[in-house]
Amino acid sequence: MSVTAKRTARNGKAGIGGKGRLHRDHLIFLAFVAPNFLLLGLFTYWPMVYQSYLSLTRWDLISPTKQFVGLENYVVLFGGQEFQRVLFNTFYFTGTVLLGSIVLGLGLAVLLNQRLRGRNIVRSVVFAPVILSGAAIGLVWAYIFDPTYGLMRVLLGAIGLSSPSWLTDTKWAMPAIIIVYLWKNLGYSAIVYLAGLQNIPQDLYEAARVDGATPWQSFRNVTLPQLSPTTFFIVVTTILGSFQAFDIIAVMTKGGPVNATTTMVWYLYEEGFVAFRAGRAAAAAMILFVLMLAVTLVQVRYLQRRVHYS
Amino acid sequence: MDRRTFLIRSGGAVGSLILIGCGNNSGSVQQPAATGEAAKAAEGKTRVVFWSSWSATSGEALQKLADEFNASQKEIFVDNQYQGTYEETAQKLATALAARQVPDMASLSEVTWNKFFLNNSLQDITGYFAEAKLDPKDYVESLIGEGTKDGKIWWVPFARSTPLFYYNRDMFKKAGLPDRGPKTWDELREWGKDLMGKGGAKKVFAYTNAKNYNAWHFQANAWQWGGAYSDEDFNILIDEGGALEAGEWLRKFVHQDKMGYMAEDQSIDFGNGLAATTQQSTGSLGGIVETAKFEVGTAMLPEQEKFGCPTGGAGLGILASAPDERKRAAFEFIRFLAKPENAASWAKTTGYMPVTKSARESKEMQAYFKENPNYKVAVEQLPKTQPQDTARLLIPNGDQTIGTGLERILVNNTPAKEAFANVAKQLEDDAKEIKESA
Repeated sequence: MSVTAKRTARNGKAGIGGKGRLHRDHLIFLAFVAPNFLLLGLFTYWPMVYQSYLSLTRWDLISPTKQFVGLENYVVLFGGQEFQRVLFNTFYFTGTVLLGSIVLGLGLAVLLNQRLRGRNIVRSVVFAPVILSGAAIGLVWAYIFDPTYGLMRVLLGAIGLSSPSWLTDTKWAMPAIIIVYLWKNLGYSAIVYLAGLQNIPQDLYEAARVDGATPWQSFRNVTLPQLSPTTFFIVVTTILGSFQAFDIIAVMTKGGPVNATTTMVWYLYEEGFVAFRAGRAAAAAMILFVLMLAVTLVQVRYLQRRVHYS
Repeated sequence: MDRRTFLIRSGGAVGSLILIGCGNNSGSVQQPAATGEAAKAAEGKTRVVFWSSWSATSGEALQKLADEFNASQKEIFVDNQYQGTYEETAQKLATALAARQVPDMASLSEVTWNKFFLNNSLQDITGYFAEAKLDPKDYVESLIGEGTKDGKIWWVPFARSTPLFYYNRDMFKKAGLPDRGPKTWDELREWGKDLMGKGGAKKVFAYTNAKNYNAWHFQANAWQWGGAYSDEDFNILIDEGGALEAGEWLRKFVHQDKMGYMAEDQSIDFGNGLAATTQQSTGSLGGIVETAKFEVGTAMLPEQEKFGCPTGGAGLGILASAPDERKRAAFEFIRFLAKPENAASWAKTTGYMPVTKSARESKEMQAYFKENPNYKVAVEQLPKTQPQDTARLLIPNGDQTIGTGLERILVNNTPAKEAFANVAKQLEDDAKEIKESA
């Protein structure tokens, strides 16, 4: 039986005061909201509160007591070179992935939007890596990058280049991770852009053509502004997603060599579950949380205002 | 359902969720649930959950032993569950203890077991030996000694290993070198030109990265050059004397001579004939011999100023929080593993050392040594080994701190002095944590 039906019935009855109804509505509201709210509270907000407490302690995950140390964990993190390197790595990774997703994703979408034969197949192929498991992809790419036997060596050799020791060289490990992550997630931004492209009204292009616009001008002045909501969406999801990248790093480099691919999430995992420093890991997680919150707020406040919604 | 019932029921559901969320801290500790075939096979028996850290050749050998044990009697079922590397097993055990869903027995490495011992998570099993009529003196003294603290036994040797020097006999032959390991590291360096020339090797020696325990392997080097990581009182010595010289030698060997390099997994590179020699655990012998398409030779570690070689590998610990019945059942399996024929079969398949004297002296093992001299080297080397320095064993994350410093030398050509000064500072900081809590 539906609530509306009941309410209609109730409204028909004389003598029931408005106050009582309000009270009942509140109860119904609560009943609907409570399960969701409690689940969120239990699995999202409680861990957050608990973690902010953990970040003020020294604890090895096993011992029954947690020693309160105030802000020591934060002082150590911000005072040490290691964490600065981790922050740098995180921004390096996220920035490059973001740029790559937008530029390559849009390029790919424009290509896939042409009326070419077999484009549906190509679209599926482009999207396939998105749904594959990151661990499996990481393993395969580790073979591809192998400087002695890998496919990449053969490809680079064909154009006269020698292969770097991708995963054991501090300069090349991060580019390798970025290539794999981009490859895996490019299909996503391409498909989203493709949907965006197909939503642009054709009459805008016609009008541009009548005004004598070159293809580049109509791309620059029609397509790009019309795509800005799509770009906004991709910026938000890519930043949040790549900030939390874990599986590919875990399989391919485990943060190495010499911390060259240690991003925030990998760092807090290492601190927490390898070095057994739960307090330090929690502090790093809090910093990550604040960073992501800041990114989200900035995006919502400023970026959204400039986005054109047709 | 009317509104009232709905509210009451949802209230109940929410209440139970809160109970789940907070956990039941007062109650007893649970075993991880049995699934699939294990659940069926364990019916009516005492099920012992054993978290282990071996896959591939060694994992199959362990499962075979567990199967034989399960078939040999009707009371106990050992549920052997592979949990990843030693570190991953320790991670899972730590979280399992927090979640109060704990296995009854786990394999713990020479590094990880200390953590659980210090937190009172391990059972004192001294009494079980007498009950089960198993003589602790049958175990190799130095090995069981490492798991004995305050006269009580907490950690039983099982898959104990040492680093071993591996060489490609085919390449040595081609290079016109004698069929033996080098006496010193300098000798290996002299051989290097021939190995990379006539021998056809791309590299002479494969080092490895921090995640593959390069700090364990380099422990040997630090001693061989007359140095150490630290002393017993946690004074850090890695940035001075022999350890520093060893680091500098390694840097030149890699970056000037271009003979050494850092492999991701030295077993794979050596097995594929990329590097002519490497240093790897005796426990990898079984796997390497199986995959290599050439004659594998093993030798004692090269010396420099003197001989140096650490012990390593894993032992078994019984968790204190398990109920008595299961702890005793777990010990039955330990007893089964210690039987000469079982300890010998495990050692033979894997390359780990026979941990009991009776297994070592058994006819089966002796005959095997005769047929496979490679396996004998590890056992001959054993009496000359020593437990590792405190910096790697006891300082939190010491293994990775040292390992990352080594990576800087191996990959970035950072002078050993600079790399080890950083390592020493980090180790000293982290050692404070132990000193304060002690």
